[in-house]
Formats: sequence, structure tokens, C-alpha cells
Amino acid sequence: MKYQIIFTLNNEKVQHEVEANKTLLKMLREDFDLTGAKEGCGQGECGACTILVNGKPVNSCLMLAVEADGKEIVTIEGLSDGEKLDELQKTFITNGALQCGYCTPGMIMTAKGLLKENPTPTVDEVKVAMSGNLCRCTGYKRIIEAIMEVVENNKN
Amino acid sequence: MNKFNYFKPSTLTEASEILRKYGENAHILNGGTDLVVRIREDLLNPEAVVDIKGIEELHHINYNEKEGLTVGACVSLSDMAHNEAVVKHFPVIADSAEVVGSGQIRNLATMVGNNCNASPLADTATPLLALDANLLVYSPEGNKKISIHDFFVGVRKTSLKTGEIVIAIRVPSYTSMKGVFKKASRRKDVDLSTVCTTVVRINNDEIRIALGAVAPTPIRAKKAEGFAKGKDLTDEVVHQIAKLAVEDATPIDDVRGSKEYRLHMVEVLVRRSLEELRY
Ligand SMILES: Cc1cc2nc3c(=O)[nH]c(=O)nc-3n(C[C@H](O)[C@H](O)[C@H](O)COP(=O)(O)OP(=O)(O)OC[C@H]3O[C@@H](n4cnc5c(N)ncnc54)[C@H](O)[C@@H]3O)c2cc1C
Ligand code: FES
Ligand code: FES
Repeated sequence: MKYQIIFTLNNEKVQHEVEANKTLLKMLREDFDLTGAKEGCGQGECGACTILVNGKPVNSCLMLAVEADGKEIVTIEGLSDGEKLDELQKTFITNGALQCGYCTPGMIMTAKGLLKENPTPTVDEVKVAMSGNLCRCTGYKRIIEAIMEVVENNKN
Repeated sequence: MNKFNYFKPSTLTEASEILRKYGENAHILNGGTDLVVRIREDLLNPEAVVDIKGIEELHHINYNEKEGLTVGACVSLSDMAHNEAVVKHFPVIADSAEVVGSGQIRNLATMVGNNCNASPLADTATPLLALDANLLVYSPEGNKKISIHDFFVGVRKTSLKTGEIVIAIRVPSYTSMKGVFKKASRRKDVDLSTVCTTVVRINNDEIRIALGAVAPTPIRAKKAEGFAKGKDLTDEVVHQIAKLAVEDATPIDDVRGSKEYRLHMVEVLVRRSLEELRY
């Protein structure tokens, strides 16, 4: 059986039919072609699937697609305005905060959620907020630096 | 994931009816951080999943001196941990919630789910045990209150019957209460407890100690509590209480730690907590 859901996806109202046994991550990737969010572990451990639901970062691999009904969802694809990148996307590039890039959409969405709640966190607060996102390439240093550059800009 | 029917009722009565209709093949979906993982790993094969987040009354959290703190079933761990009344009156509960998983997990997961899951290592279970919390439960026969001390029956087993739904957790208020939550895990963040403890001091003369991940259910260290009653927390007394706390623990060896390590950590965490509670 399929279930009707209506939700906001990257600022657009959408209507969709989906099976109950499909994760939100899978629906975004397969039905909407939004392949930014990735499946790393599929069990809430790695953060590669992080998206914003009602402004808060969550693991989309742990939500059922049907649970999106009535929610406001933002994926990495919804951050940029056409060719104009979001500030976190820019500082990730200028700081070289990515190598293979697999973890990057999740990293940026988690950081986005943090900065929405607190535009000027300390380095330690950033580290705690990012603890649910794993990266096998960078060693994290540049990721933290990229986020702190946005934090510094927010202070001015 | 195998196929299942998804229900999102807007009342407890309706939810309970579906749960009774499907019996043991139905599962309540709250934050889903335990349930969805278990379904994905084929540890569970439900016929029906009953999402209770459409029931408005389960989203409330409030505090008053007479009744204490009432945390609705669907309040997320992060909303609870940042709630003003929780931070002010029950910081020990907030501390235990803030170490569950990651920020992303805490935006989904709930304290009621953490306890209904009945894992011996549930981090938020230890402050609730130490503070004599109650679960407010919807039952087809009429609402009831279950003491947290009667709630955990075994690993992943609670005393809830088919069709019963936890509405909220209620923690009584205390005029003078200080508590310390501690957790030992393999890595600092996003890891399950190898051992977790909550030690509270009430009215400066009563010590309560709750231990997680050292028995089939979270437990209270009754021997140590009895010994501590009315005593000044001198160095000598603190050491003796911490040693006695180990006696109620019956841990096992597993991937997170050996039996011996767990027993040792009970003593260390309880001692450190008592040292903090002296001031
Ligand atoms: C990556 C990861 C890390 C984690 N780290 C920790 C950790 O550090 N510490 C820790 O303690 N836990 C941890 N967990 C476990 C989990 O996040 C918690 O147990 C969580 O609090 C469960 O709440 P939930 O709302 O998501 O429950 P759900 O998964 O929705 O439900 C859990 C169980 O409770 C039942 N249930 C839920 N609500 C009710 C109700 N109102 N009435 C009756 N039954 C109900 C469900 O049917 C299910 O059996 C982790 C999980 C993941 C995936
Ligand atoms: S894929 Fe969701 S947390 Fe790893
Ligand atoms: S850049 Fe490769 S996993 Fe982070």
C-alpha cells in the first residue's frame, strides 16, 4: 500500500505517494533525485544522511519517508541559490575541508543546523555538534576551520 | 525492510485499538532511533507500525512544584535537555540526555522511547530510577501510573501490556536535590555506555545511586544507599559507599567491556560523583 504525503522540500510544496517501508533518505535519493545526502552506515552512526527537518539536523536514514508528511525539509541541494553558494559551501571549498566529498553534504547540513540555533558557537561547541558526522579522509581539522570561518564572519 | 502497514492515529484510544488488533506484530513508532534500526536490520518484522507523533497531548512538557516534571512521550531529547525547567530543577536528567548518541539522534529520539526500549544501558534510565519517577500510562482499562521501579522487567522487556502506551514520564519535585550523571564509554561521543551511573543527594542526608549496563535492567545500589543514610561524606565514607555500590552489580562481558572493568568503573564513577556532591 502507498501513502499520500504532502511536505515542503527545499522551499517547494510537494505531494508524493510512498511505501511505508522506505526510509526518508531513500525517497529523497530515488524519487526526487536529490543524491546529496548519502547512505554511509544506515544506522544513525555516520551522519552522511543528515538533512534539516523543521530546521533541525536529523539522520534521514532513521526516518520513514511517510514521516515527512507535513514537515519542512531542506537538503544540501536547497542551500544554494542557483549558482550562488551558501557561505558554508564556500568556506568548505576555500579551506579544502573535503577530499572524497562523501561526508560533506552531511557535515554542512549539521553545521547549518547548529549555526541556525547559535550563530557564534565556540570551537568546542562546534566539535560537540559535529560529533555525529564521520569523515574518513580529512582528519576533521579543516572542517572545523571552515565552520569557524563562518562563525567569525557572523561575529562582525 | 519488509512491508508493513503504517498508521498515524490522532488519539490514544485509536492507537491502542490498532495495537490490540495486531498484537505482538504491531510496534509503536516514536523517534524511531531504536525501532527503525531494528526493522532495517530484520530484528523485527512488524505487520503494523503505529506512529504516535500525531497525538497532540504527547508533545507537552511542563513543570510545577506540586506534580513535578512531566515529559510527554514525544518530546525529543534535545528539546527536553534545553527546557528551562529541566535545566533549572533537574540538570542531572538534562546531562544524561545530552550524551545519548549525536545531536541528530537527539533531535529524533525521546526519553520515553529510551526507557520503553528497556536496554540495560539506557542513559536516561539512571536519573529516573534515582529520582523515583513514574510512567503515566494509557491503558484500555483506564489510565494508570507505573513506578519506574516496576517498569523494567528484563533486557528489552517492560511491564507494559498489549495496547498500553506511555503518555509521559513524571519526576517528583524535591526541595533540595543535587545529582551527578556519569558515563564510561569506549569513545567520548556517540557511543553506548559501558557503564553509566547517577548519584543524587537529597536533603543532604539521603544518597541514591542508580547503575546502568551492569545488570539485565538498570538498577539501584541499595546496599550502598543504606550504608550512606545520614552519614557525612568524609573521604572514608565516600570510599566505602563506592565499594558497596559494586555489590549490587552483576555485569557481563561484551564488546564494550569485561565484567571486571565494569565493576571497577562502577566504583570509580560512584566515588567521583560523591566527591562532586560533597560541595
Ligand atoms: C547512533 C545511535 C546512537 C545511540 N546512542 C545512545 C546512547 O548513547 N545512549 C542511549 O541510551 N541510547 C542510545 N541510542 C538508542 C536510542 O537513540 C534511544 O534509546 C532513544 O532514546 C529511543 O527513543 P525513540 O523515541 O527514538 O524510540 P523508538 O525507536 O521510536 O522506540 C523505542 C522502543 O520503545 C517503544 N515505545 C516508544 N514510545 C513508546 C510509548 N509512548 N509507549 C510504549 N512504548 C513506546 C517502541 O515501540 C520501541 O520498542 C542510540 C541509537 C543510535 C541509532
Ligand atoms: S547513513 Fe544515516 S547516519 Fe549513517
Ligand atoms: S571527505 Fe571523504 S569522508 Fe569526508
